[in-house]
Amino acid sequence: MTAQGIVADVLLGLAAAVVLVSSAGILAMRDAYQRLHYVAPIAVVAPVIVALAVLVQSGWTENSGETWLALLFMVIGGPFLAHATIRAARTREKGDWRPASGRPGTGRGRPQVRPPERQQPGHPAGDRDG
Amino acid sequence: MNSFVIAAIVMLLAAVPCGIVVVRGTTMDAVVAYEAVSSIVFMVLVLLAEGFRRSGEFELPVHLAVLLFGSGLVFVRFLERWL
Repeated sequence: MTAQGIVADVLLGLAAAVVLVSSAGILAMRDAYQRLHYVAPIAVVAPVIVALAVLVQSGWTENSGETWLALLFMVIGGPFLAHATIRAARTREKGDWRPASGRPGTGRGRPQVRPPERQQPGHPAGDRDG
Repeated sequence: MNSFVIAAIVMLLAAVPCGIVVVRGTTMDAVVAYEAVSSIVFMVLVLLAEGFRRSGEFELPVHLAVLLFGSGLVFVRFLERWL
């Protein structure tokens, strides 16, 4: 076995270990917020290690190029997808993804509505021109 | 059977706990587990293509990586608004 093969095997074992541990974490956690922490190693870390293993095994070829292209899509899209998932989970739980505004009884995080301006006596609305 | 194929089999076994969460968890838990399974399948496709030396099959994970992002966004936006 060549040195390239040994390095590729070590990288593959590391990627498989990351995926196994993260998958067990997804099963063990309590809710979606905690489970989503274990998706990031599967979606970002392990694909990087797999792409490195392919690169070590076959060098800069068309195969490794396509692997890194796919990895690029994964790395770019992963954080956006995680953010959207957390936002959806919070919206389903709280009714709105924004934090509460502090008004008692709302809990929806809606922006505070400014009270209507009090009209001055002798200046009815719509009578600005005199 | 080389190390790439063995790693693909191990990763497929790692999808089993995620499948349990999909079946037994809440809707949002299932979406999170689905995203994890999609990423695992992406790596399995890469590993099998490299393991069996089929360069034409390296296009599948590229397509899956693009579709994974879009489908995940569709799922979560649908769950956020209507379910």
